[in-house]
Amino acid sequence: MMILPLFVVIPLGGAFLLSLIGKLDKRINDALANIATFSLLVLSVFAIRYPLAGKVLVYKVGGWKPPIGICMVLDGLTSFMLVTTNLVSCLVAIYSISYMERYTDKYRFYTLFLLMLAGMNGVIVTGDLFNLFVFLEIASVASYALVAFGTEAEELEASFKYTIMSSVASSFILLGIALLYSFSSTLNMADMAWVLAQRNSSLLLYFVAVLFIMGFGLKAAIVPFHAWLPDAHPSAPASISAMLSGVVIKVLGVYTLIRIFFNLFPINKTSLSVLMFLGTVSILAGVILALSQWDFKRLLAYHSISQIGYIILGIGLGTPLGITGALFHLFNHSVFKSLLFLNSGAVVYALGTRNLQEMGGLKERMPLTANTSLVASMSISGIPPFNGFWSKLWIILACMQSGRILYAFWAVIGSILTLASFMKVQKYAFWGKLKKQWESVKEVPWPMQLAMLVLAVICILSGFLVAPFFSAFIDSAVKVILSGQGYAHTVFKMLR
Amino acid sequence: MKLYPLFRLDTLNGFIGIFIGLFFVLILIYSLDFMWKKRNLLQYYFYIILTALFSLVVVFTNDLRLLLVFWGLLGLTLYLLINIADDEKASLTAKKTFIIVGGSDCLMLLGIAIIYFLSGTFQMDKIKLSFNSSLTNLAYLCLVIACFAKAGAMPVHSWIPDCAEYAPLTVTAYLPASLDKLLGIYLLARISLDLFVMNSIMNIFLMIIGAITIIAAVMMALIQHNIKRLLGYHAVSQVGYMVLGIGTGVAVGIAGGIFHMLNHAIYKSCLFLSTANVEYRTKTSELDKLGGLAKILPITYLSCLVASLSISGVPPFNGFVSKWMVYQGIIEKLTAYSAQFTAQRFVAILCLVAAMFGSGLTLASFMKLIHGVFLGQDGDNKQVWAEVSWRMWLPTVILAVVCIVFGVFAYPVPLKLFIFPAVKGIDFIGTWHAGLSTLLIILGLVLGISIFSLRDLKPVFRKDRPFMGAETTALELTKVSGVEFYNTIKELKVLSFIYKKAEAGFFDIYEQGKRFVFAIGRGLQYLHNGVLPSYLVWCLLGMLGLFYVIIFK
Repeated sequence: MMILPLFVVIPLGGAFLLSLIGKLDKRINDALANIATFSLLVLSVFAIRYPLAGKVLVYKVGGWKPPIGICMVLDGLTSFMLVTTNLVSCLVAIYSISYMERYTDKYRFYTLFLLMLAGMNGVIVTGDLFNLFVFLEIASVASYALVAFGTEAEELEASFKYTIMSSVASSFILLGIALLYSFSSTLNMADMAWVLAQRNSSLLLYFVAVLFIMGFGLKAAIVPFHAWLPDAHPSAPASISAMLSGVVIKVLGVYTLIRIFFNLFPINKTSLSVLMFLGTVSILAGVILALSQWDFKRLLAYHSISQIGYIILGIGLGTPLGITGALFHLFNHSVFKSLLFLNSGAVVYALGTRNLQEMGGLKERMPLTANTSLVASMSISGIPPFNGFWSKLWIILACMQSGRILYAFWAVIGSILTLASFMKVQKYAFWGKLKKQWESVKEVPWPMQLAMLVLAVICILSGFLVAPFFSAFIDSAVKVILSGQGYAHTVFKMLR
Repeated sequence: MKLYPLFRLDTLNGFIGIFIGLFFVLILIYSLDFMWKKRNLLQYYFYIILTALFSLVVVFTNDLRLLLVFWGLLGLTLYLLINIADDEKASLTAKKTFIIVGGSDCLMLLGIAIIYFLSGTFQMDKIKLSFNSSLTNLAYLCLVIACFAKAGAMPVHSWIPDCAEYAPLTVTAYLPASLDKLLGIYLLARISLDLFVMNSIMNIFLMIIGAITIIAAVMMALIQHNIKRLLGYHAVSQVGYMVLGIGTGVAVGIAGGIFHMLNHAIYKSCLFLSTANVEYRTKTSELDKLGGLAKILPITYLSCLVASLSISGVPPFNGFVSKWMVYQGIIEKLTAYSAQFTAQRFVAILCLVAAMFGSGLTLASFMKLIHGVFLGQDGDNKQVWAEVSWRMWLPTVILAVVCIVFGVFAYPVPLKLFIFPAVKGIDFIGTWHAGLSTLLIILGLVLGISIFSLRDLKPVFRKDRPFMGAETTALELTKVSGVEFYNTIKELKVLSFIYKKAEAGFFDIYEQGKRFVFAIGRGLQYLHNGVLPSYLVWCLLGMLGLFYVIIFK
């Protein structure tokens, strides 16, 4: 039995079922959504063994043979992204059981949530460029609706901005795909890579590269295309913020950039150095803006821009060490950033405010939230022994290895400022004296606690992902990226 | 088990390991009573034990990666330990401390990355870099800043006075006063002696930093009214001697710097623990409110007196010996410079003057402390009953005894056992005969006391109620704490300006950095006006830039 289509079928089917029967009973909602996300996690962990064994799975949708038909591909990079996405979404689903009680229409939330997950899994597994665009739009549209889920003025405005800017990006992506189609007469990614490798590079390719950097860069919130994110991410319900910052920007932005610029296009030094530059600007701009925020979730949102900068910087280096660091940081960031957003959600759940100045001394009343957020803060600030330290170390070593001392320097400065900003969060929210008005505050319900606890444990453990025994997981993904247009050969070999 | 590539025991780190163990045991004994019935006790002991273990790893490791990881972990435990105090000020201090210490760890990461780039190895005994490129300079500076932040030299010192004032006193005595000094200066010595080949510019740089640290911090200490903060500034000032000593690049100076590090850890933790005794009994650490405690806390008084004299560099205590070695280092440096290097000679002379002058000012400020706390009239402390329990005075007494032993028997005990093996080729310009001098000092003291106790020379005290403003007031109301005397310094015209700036955080790299970053942040926030069309314009401009770079280049 082929597992590849299941990654799309399960969440899509779940969304369909939920919208049909979800109205009947609340418990069905929770059960159905959690079963769906949990089975996806199990499947994606199960799927690791194929790339580890050096195998690449290719599934022909509807039995049509590519390049005419659509195919789905499971290689090292796919499997890595699937694990990251489904791990976070599974924990977010558990968290939502209690958290979303505060909102009406829980079943609609789960429907949209699963739809978004279907879109993301689709983007990851698909081997067809136009199909990728379709899934990208499914995930985006679902996320527009989810940002507006609270339906207050602030949420609606944020959602509107997000919709407009994201649609602009989507249209540029579509234009890019159309131009590529006219150039290569194929939409299958493996086939297109093969065609592009045969032809001489032309001006059109550079043009398309710009369109893609802008389009996917906007989805990934790279400066100067980031402006939608600080509005959209804080406005969504916390579990969705965790998804958006944790995985959506990475799947829709970073993953697609990697796939296209390494596996599809002939590797172009200029676009890589542009990515490096934009990444560094993002690191600094994001963190400096974050420092002056007092809104807990908005601060975290700006940090997403900054941390994506590290990932883009690592990828832009293009060396094995840099890409390993970038993917490692991608995984770590999705864990600790979603944890931080869940923490902020727990604080909002208990207190009803997002303003850091109104909090204080919450460690006493909400020990688990405080301790897990300490772990996440230390991770994102790059303090040993937590995972963020290792991935930043890898990225900075990689910068030095390729002689990019200035980038290494700015990355270090960004790291110091990140630490400063999370010291602020810890001080104002959790340490110090408990304010009078919060004396009756209680720790959040167990599903929320469980999700935060698991993420905090992963924050500590995932530092081992680059340790000798475990590194095969990331290495298989790095191998795919470094193989460049060799991607086409492996896919074709499987089809034959 | 083969330890070698990861760990290495040599003459420099062996004795530091011993002292880490000593401080760990003393603080544990002390905490039994001092921290009794405080909150989060389990966490406190857990972090204290972790800190000792991490410090040992840092000292004995031979691998830069391990060093980096455990160095960072020490910052984390320090942060958590300060937060044990559980109040508003402590959490603010913890934040500031960790931003400075953790931030310097990030720079250390960069430094280590550069070293790896240049030498291709993380093994410390395989690395020997000379300053022939700007990259090496940068790497050295990054590591030096990390050492400075840990040890508390300027300009990254500003967390230490805050930490001394607001953190639990045992934590201050344990980390900033002893372990962090040992580690910071150990690493400074390690990189300056083994990892890099020092040149004269770097030496001068270290010396200037050392001299500025000595003078500036001791001037700040002079005007403090809180014992803990006063000691905190001295903890910064003394680092100046260590940096100065290592910066001379002369064997005797380096040995003096390392020996001073050891001595400082001993007498400074003794001073902080004595202060903790005073605070434990009186619940205050303000000099104005204390006084006359020598009668009630005699053991604390004596140990505090010994430690104060040591830190002030009074013979025959240990502080004198190490300061004397540092001075000799500078003098030897002076003689080494021939006539051409007038600028370097000048700097060296200035450093020598700063070091000696700083020592005098240290004595002045400790006279204030001893007088204000233990002598003088009784303060408004009514809760005092008796000397603290033995678990609290024993550690201070042990440390005070070590101060005396290291001073009187400096050559046969500490120098011969610890320092001479670590630094080769020491030759003294002037020898200090500690034993003979001690005898003479004791003789002088005995003579003086016997003359003093002669019937006719004994002064006669007369106590009477003062008459002021046509009224006689009670004697207790006209207390002279001795603190006001020092305000004269603050009111000097030139200094008052600098003091005002210093108190407003003008020389604090943390405050300045904050101001700078927030200024940029305000600019960026101005750009984020929330208007959708302007955001779209950015995207357009961004795209135009991309077109220009990718297509036309």
